[in-house]
Amino acid sequence: MIARPDPVAIGRVVATELKPSTPHQFHFWTANETSIGIGAIVRVGESVGRGDVGSGRVVYGVVTDGFAYSDLATPLHDVIGAEGDPARAAESPTVRQEIRYWTAAVLRQVPEEPLQPVPLGQVFVASDTDVAQALRMDAYLHSATPTAIPIGLYTSGGLEAPVYLDADFLLGPEAAHLNISGVSGLATKTSAVEFLLASIFRHFPAHKGKVAAVCFNVKGPDLCFLDQPGELSDEDRRRYDLLDVPAAPFERVHYFAPLKADGVNLNTLRTHPELVDDVTPLTWGLQEVVDFAEVLLNRDDIDAKADAFIDYLRDRVLARSFDDGFGNSHNVTTFADLERFFRGVFDGLETSGRSDTWRTHHIATMRKVRNRLLNISTRCKGLVTDDGPASDLPWGAFENRAVYVIDVANVDPLGQDLVFARAVSKLREHLERRDLGVDAVVVFVDELNKYAPGDGPETYVKKMLLDISERGRYLGLVLFSAEQFRSQVHRRVVGNAGTQVFGRMDMDELATPGYQVLSPATKIKLATLPVGELMVRHPHFTQPIFVRFPKPPVLRGRDGMGRFPAAVDLPFEDAVARQLVHMDRRIRPNQVKDLIADRTEEDVRRALAAVRQKRPEDVLAHFRKMLGGRVASDAPRERQVVPPLNPISDEPY
Amino acid sequence: MTWWDALVRAGAVPAAYVPPASMGRTDADDYAEPGADLVEGDAMETFAVLRRPSPPACFLDGIEHWKVVGYDGVLPVVRAYVAAAVRRRGPDRRLRTAFEASREFAIAPLAGLAPERRRALEEHCPDVVDISIEEGTQPGRVLELARRAVDSARQALERALAERALARLGETEWLVVDGLLSVSGKLAGHPRALGVIKSHGAQFFSGADLERALTVPADTRTSVFRARGGHARNEVYSWYLRLWPWEGNDLLYGLLRIEARADDATIANAGATSGWLLAERAPIATPDMRWDRLLYPIHDVETYLKARAPRDLSASRTSRLPRTGT
Repeated sequence: MIARPDPVAIGRVVATELKPSTPHQFHFWTANETSIGIGAIVRVGESVGRGDVGSGRVVYGVVTDGFAYSDLATPLHDVIGAEGDPARAAESPTVRQEIRYWTAAVLRQVPEEPLQPVPLGQVFVASDTDVAQALRMDAYLHSATPTAIPIGLYTSGGLEAPVYLDADFLLGPEAAHLNISGVSGLATKTSAVEFLLASIFRHFPAHKGKVAAVCFNVKGPDLCFLDQPGELSDEDRRRYDLLDVPAAPFERVHYFAPLKADGVNLNTLRTHPELVDDVTPLTWGLQEVVDFAEVLLNRDDIDAKADAFIDYLRDRVLARSFDDGFGNSHNVTTFADLERFFRGVFDGLETSGRSDTWRTHHIATMRKVRNRLLNISTRCKGLVTDDGPASDLPWGAFENRAVYVIDVANVDPLGQDLVFARAVSKLREHLERRDLGVDAVVVFVDELNKYAPGDGPETYVKKMLLDISERGRYLGLVLFSAEQFRSQVHRRVVGNAGTQVFGRMDMDELATPGYQVLSPATKIKLATLPVGELMVRHPHFTQPIFVRFPKPPVLRGRDGMGRFPAAVDLPFEDAVARQLVHMDRRIRPNQVKDLIADRTEEDVRRALAAVRQKRPEDVLAHFRKMLGGRVASDAPRERQVVPPLNPISDEPY
Repeated sequence: MTWWDALVRAGAVPAAYVPPASMGRTDADDYAEPGADLVEGDAMETFAVLRRPSPPACFLDGIEHWKVVGYDGVLPVVRAYVAAAVRRRGPDRRLRTAFEASREFAIAPLAGLAPERRRALEEHCPDVVDISIEEGTQPGRVLELARRAVDSARQALERALAERALARLGETEWLVVDGLLSVSGKLAGHPRALGVIKSHGAQFFSGADLERALTVPADTRTSVFRARGGHARNEVYSWYLRLWPWEGNDLLYGLLRIEARADDATIANAGATSGWLLAERAPIATPDMRWDRLLYPIHDVETYLKARAPRDLSASRTSRLPRTGT
């Protein structure tokens, strides 16, 4: 056993009638030159002096406030002593006695019972072991089935001690979810989540199964280069070693992005020729969208009648043979089929001169639902296809320790809502059935101020976020959310986050009631927090703890755009050829261009989507087959958008 | 068990009386009626002093606390504590303790105590100072004798500490003592030892010289004189120095009397010495009431000693109403 030198006391607990020690707080003084500061963890050992009998009680605390003052009775005395000349004040032969006086909040007392005021003992800088004890990490760090996930390093007084979160409280089932707040532009929120995901993938306990992450990229190129190595300093690499997290980019990253309106170019910033092949187009058809029709309807639209008609469509019309009563038979599987269905019904009502009601549904309600549903294919063109098969996430085949990035940064807000609602619903559905392929999924959503504001309308997305945060932990569906202003996010979304992380905060934000529990000094520290440092609250920690985490091992969005600038959109033919060549390297672009030379873009898109979905052995042959078959059978389309209907009332739909 | 507990067990009546004069110290000898011979010029003069940087220096002060802890009949038994310290000012202008000493002891008129009380005291207290009294001496007189015993113990401690400090003084370092320099031959003869006296019971002059000495303006010193007789057990040179303007306050406001070695060099350097002593008026030694004459480093030594003194010897801030309960 290696003998450790006796620690040197750096302070002493003092208690007065006005500022006594309590079971939750104590005060101590240190030398003027000391290594501790706000956020430092200290250990109080009861001093055993002449004739004293120590009880062996050990108290761990975190410094929450600091004071310095001298024996100067009033500032006026300093003025008098210096005869009104500040320069002379600095020349006084003796420096006044001064004190460094600290307030610390108790993290833990050993023994825990009976809970007593902090004794007047000596104060020591916490060691690695002390940090683990103080933060109650010993329970999940050294248990038979450890569940510790490193989140960063506690650094103070030359000490670098890893700080661990409990996976049971970060990813469920005891508690779950993580919320991170901080001002924008300091590369802290996204970086912290990237590092934490890497840490989770390395340390997620084997007995808890498999884990994956789904990240919504909602702005710029933030999450577009998770598979590319970023530049790390030696210091960062050393910290990775200390935390036992590989300093390497994610091994398995799958990118999904909708197509642009042209239906062939990807709507993402990850379009550099070296990287674009890894991006899978995300396209949904009617079948995928109709279950989330609620997302498409705003609050004014939602009424019992519209709801009932959507249910009718879903139950009686879609994906089955249906007779509309006017002699038309429908099998609605695409938006094009749906448009034909509505036209058949409206024409039938007009020509038959019947009333405004069709099978108990008023024609105005039907028009409203029709407009909303069909407009989605216009507003989210590229994500939602009028026709053709869908291209989706690999539901049921999620890989362990894989990141699935869904890039919706450039998608219409309605489309973003739809993507989010559907992706989360599918995750929940599969996790409930235990057939997703993994046992837990971390869903990362940034810009919570936008998606779950505290005072905004009750949107479907907000409801989904609430649902995850309140019930997700039982399923293994874990929300990692980020925002700039925590005070303006729905209280239940942030309140249900078992782990809360704070980067540098705005002073205005810190002045809001949610931060009243923090001392002024802690607030100042938060307002000036350097990049790479966070304040963490976790169920096992009785007080917030400051930790430092290394720069994430992946290429930051901004750097990625410098190294892999987005390619300009290719002409239609070239884009189609590139996609097919990517699927089969034997294909020559000219072959593709010849094939599609006399085809409409709609038909080419549909054929391409079919090939993407099927991934046949002979790509070109299948493409030719799909192109030929569907083009011959479909009548040419006259209009690309939903035509206006003859108004029958002032109804605005 | 403390010795005063043992004393009470032996039949003494417990007491907790802190006499008003017990918390401070007096320069009793300063009240003697000495004389003085001018050694700088033929008549008492005043000289403007220019402030100058302080040399490296150590500062010495002492404290005394005592209280009555029991009575044997009407004879008080006193518990006393004296301490002294030398604090050295470093290049960072901060003071750190270089030497310190303390003594805790009992004072009692042993001959007047009942045998069992005397035995209890002598058995349990390792340091007892006996004061001899005549039969029938009033308790007040005993307390006055106790005060003198404490005073003299404190002075002895200070003297011993000062002599230790002198032996370890740096080549250019000064030792500034709170009080009389002349109490010690070694102190009085050292070229870089100064006594700083704040109380002015001793009157060295009369008539116009007295008036000139006591009305010396701020930033000004008087002529150097040889203090003789009375307190001056060892010959020293002395002069007055005014730190703060006294007009609008009191005649003795900001007035110090400095003692230094009786040597021509002292006269030659009186201006320079006064210059750096003048600089010592900042920082102000508040909240001490004597801040106008108390140099901050001396105040610092006193604060240090008080902070280390036994707390139960301090005068209680609570009233002396009879104790209630069990």
